Amino acid sequence: MWSDALNAPRARDGKAPDVLHQGGWVEMREYRDTEEVDFVIVGTGAGGGTLAARLAEQGFSVVAMDAGGWFRPIEEFASDETAQEMIYWNDHRVTDGANPLTMGGNNSGKAIGGSTVHYAMVALRFRPEWFKSRTLLGYGADWPIDWREMWHWYAEAERQLSIAGPLSYPWGPKRGRYPFRAHELNGAAKLLAEGAQKTGIEWTETPLATLSAPYRDANGTSPPCVYRGFCRFGCSTNAKRSSLTVFIPRALAAGAEVRDLAMVGKIETGPDGRATGVHYHRDGEWRFQKAKNVIVAGYAVETPRLLLNSANDRFPDGLANSSGLVGKNLMTQSNSAVWGRMDTPVRSYKGPPSLAISEHWNYDDNNDFHGGYLWLGQGPMPIEWAGVLTGAKGLWGDALREEMRDYNHMVGVKMVGETLPNEANRVTLADDVDQYGLKVARITFSYGDNDKAMIDHALQQMRASIDAVDASDIFDQPDDNCHLGGTIRMGDDPTTSVVNADGRSWDIPNLWVCDGSLFPTVGGVNPSLTIYALALRMADRIGEMSKRGELYRCRM
Amino acid sequence: MTRIARLIAIAATTALTLSKKRQLQRSPAATGALVGQSRTIVTAARRLNRASGMIAGSVLIDSAMEHYRGNFSNRAMWTPLATAAMTIGASAHGLGDRQHGAHTVRDTIYSTAGAVGLVGTAFHIYNITKQVGGLSWQNLFYAAPLGAPAAITLSGITGFLAERVRHNRPGTPELIFGYPAGQVVAGGTALSLLATSAEAGLLHFRGAFHNPAMLLPVTMPPISAALLLRAALTGSAGRMTTYFVGATAAMGLAGVVFHAYGVSRNKGGFKNWRQTLFAGPPLPAPPSFTGLALAGLSALSLIRRARRG
Amino acid sequence: MAEKPSFPGYDTMARRDTQSWNEPTRQAIDARLSVPREPRFFTVEEWDCADALCQLIIPGVIDPPLVALLDAALHDGDGHGTRTQTVPYRREAWRQGVNALDSCARGSHGKPFAQLGKDDQSALLETIQRGEPTAGQWGAMEPQDFFKRCVLGDIPALFYSLPQAWNEIGFGGPASPRGYVRLELGHRDPWEAAEVGPDGDSDTVERKNRHVV
Repeated sequence: MWSDALNAPRARDGKAPDVLHQGGWVEMREYRDTEEVDFVIVGTGAGGGTLAARLAEQGFSVVAMDAGGWFRPIEEFASDETAQEMIYWNDHRVTDGANPLTMGGNNSGKAIGGSTVHYAMVALRFRPEWFKSRTLLGYGADWPIDWREMWHWYAEAERQLSIAGPLSYPWGPKRGRYPFRAHELNGAAKLLAEGAQKTGIEWTETPLATLSAPYRDANGTSPPCVYRGFCRFGCSTNAKRSSLTVFIPRALAAGAEVRDLAMVGKIETGPDGRATGVHYHRDGEWRFQKAKNVIVAGYAVETPRLLLNSANDRFPDGLANSSGLVGKNLMTQSNSAVWGRMDTPVRSYKGPPSLAISEHWNYDDNNDFHGGYLWLGQGPMPIEWAGVLTGAKGLWGDALREEMRDYNHMVGVKMVGETLPNEANRVTLADDVDQYGLKVARITFSYGDNDKAMIDHALQQMRASIDAVDASDIFDQPDDNCHLGGTIRMGDDPTTSVVNADGRSWDIPNLWVCDGSLFPTVGGVNPSLTIYALALRMADRIGEMSKRGELYRCRM
Repeated sequence: MTRIARLIAIAATTALTLSKKRQLQRSPAATGALVGQSRTIVTAARRLNRASGMIAGSVLIDSAMEHYRGNFSNRAMWTPLATAAMTIGASAHGLGDRQHGAHTVRDTIYSTAGAVGLVGTAFHIYNITKQVGGLSWQNLFYAAPLGAPAAITLSGITGFLAERVRHNRPGTPELIFGYPAGQVVAGGTALSLLATSAEAGLLHFRGAFHNPAMLLPVTMPPISAALLLRAALTGSAGRMTTYFVGATAAMGLAGVVFHAYGVSRNKGGFKNWRQTLFAGPPLPAPPSFTGLALAGLSALSLIRRARRG
Repeated sequence: MAEKPSFPGYDTMARRDTQSWNEPTRQAIDARLSVPREPRFFTVEEWDCADALCQLIIPGVIDPPLVALLDAALHDGDGHGTRTQTVPYRREAWRQGVNALDSCARGSHGKPFAQLGKDDQSALLETIQRGEPTAGQWGAMEPQDFFKRCVLGDIPALFYSLPQAWNEIGFGGPASPRGYVRLELGHRDPWEAAEVGPDGDSDTVERKNRHVV
């Protein structure tokens, strides 16, 4: 029963849930709170889970904590939109600004595995130029990492996640073959393809982190995708390749300890200004875990919230915040859509929602806006679809119920659009406190003119694509947002960034960040693969630094 | 089912009509010195009948499953079922037939099967080209498979060759269209094995060769094919050839077990058979290799016999 | 406008004991359908108002009544955990919202919302939806935002969490361990709803839907 996962920690007494086997347990190494571990990692998603595995595999002592529960997908996940709400971060938060962001299933997970438990598995690489968007494209900020280096880590992430993708990818520099073949396209994806073909732009099968063939490794086996379509509500097949199913089992096998239901509330610093460990809430009490290094991987809202909540006499504005940039430059990705009705039933609830993609507008610079966007095929579940109709059309009553009956006939494409960094968009602390007594995040966001111009452009292009497949009753869903980024910008200069290319704080050298909040720009692609790639790179860099004696009191 | 009945009726009528026009030299097995050779000819032919039936059996079940999956959305999707069923019938008949001389009805059915396979291939090519993306990997992997209808052709050709072998007079060298029968069958089988191996290769590539056993059908049959080709060209074959072709026959049967394991690895395993039998590896596909390999073995025995004189 | 799709004879629940449903799904749906039909979060007056509101947003005979699901959801948790400047956290927003609705109805008609005629109720909601002033006490909450975030955000979500609603729209419903095989445009798995038109006339479809398991 999944509620057990939230009642009391499951990872204890030297064992942890083995999510790859029904009712399984694996042995887990445990550390005492007083034992100064090499790394304590806050968060177990694409950043934290990956790091936990790779650092433990290099021999470091690692404790990873997550506020969420340790669910067992194959025996606890229902095929149900409402019942699966437990995998999202629905704790209190405040949103404001001209365009208050929608938080929850689109961008916030709360579980071992983080948001990768509910992500749509879209595994894309940035366009190379985006890593130098300021220099090459004239907007945003440059990343401190070269694209060629990222290309290597992208390939590595794709290999370790067994990404299923097309044999040749139409955009960007050449890449190696994806480890698994692309999935079969469903009706919605075929219509995206047809629309693209008829409007003269390229499309392809979306590279996805879900298996297209059985998989086996030392930790267990996973069956291929069964096309049940509930991906964003948790994959009960275990075909989804996530931090939960890939990196956490590896982390445990390599000797990391992973603590579920462990909410970190504050990072402590010592007299020398170094981080000394984390205060965390577990089993009804506050505890303190000593650590030589602290890595925060809580994503673009919770990471800055923790750094700000950790303010003390020495760091009154929060940790790592000498630049004043912690929490600033929050970005989202615009997620507007266009929908239409086909005469033939589409039944887009079948299969992963986004089996086909067009990245055309990510690779076209002749526009009157900066940045790029893509669009993906869609497969909304009934509640989501009702949300589209009430949100975009304001329908209720008989009108809503009648229009819902077209559910099986609807087809749509949805953009993932880059928004530009802006210091006014930011995460700060609100006065409200959550169930742990911690100040909650206030998330302030307004679209800029560039963001709006891009959304307009995208709506027009997507409309053309939906129109090209002879859909009727076409309508726009202009307001929606998804993934986040920014808030802990990485860079080359301590005055204009919070951390360096390794995610290491300029101010506190044993404090690190590894998640989407590092992104100086978010680009027009789903961020998860880039986070995985950054984490793999960071683990590798930490290993090197350790060998050279460049880590604080921690040497392999 | 009425559609199938109608198709069978049409085919049977055609066959009977044809049989009146052709002069047949069907006779009971000869006597005396010719007994040995006579028995060999009939045995070789019956083996080929059996091979043809084996392939047709694979086609029947495979196309029934795949076209059920496709909801028989087009009437023509019943054709391979009818054709394969008739081919099995012809082959069973041939297997029980100990007489010399080609049988007109069997000949007609085999020829029809050969033609149906070609038409089916054209149909599948058309199906692929009308899909969005056209001749793309996506469609080669997931749209109507190009290689499947060709298997009916192969069963037809094998059966057709069976009739040609049977048509030889005892006391004369076994020939097909004037060429040594064993070599012709060996050559044909080799090409068929290569085609079937290519199909398996395509689909196993789709499965990312996730299990090393998936490499077998893209290695063993091509080696067997190469050995058979050499036999076809030289008119002689060593033991190695027999071993490999025999192993390929065994592999086809083992393939069913491997595929069953593959099905079990899909979510829900055999309990979820209504999904996994169709989403997993096709159980009836691998025995095509067995059918072809049986034809190859038959060819090899003909070749050896021809060499002994 | 063409006639809306219909799926006569289709019953998602018929697959309850097949490979399409796993145990957690059965438990979740069973719990939903047997939700307590009395207020635990709302007061009786609030319940009546919320009930009338639910019946307006999703008209028709619905079992269990949506107000029971709403009350249970608010009783069990605080829903989507964000508040904005104009709409508080869910529990507070709903409590304030239904009381404000009642105050609107009392202000203009002298009786609680639940006792208004359907037309008057609808007219009030339309006023709120358009962002026009009402006669009620809304405090710091913005009525239009409450309507958008809570009324339209939550009530339809309750209805479309019910098998009854899935039957109505032809949704495939729960799908694990068995997912889907026929992904092609227009193709239907034998365990998916048949639709009048694409899958035959009304009688044929009803017959087909009886075998959808």
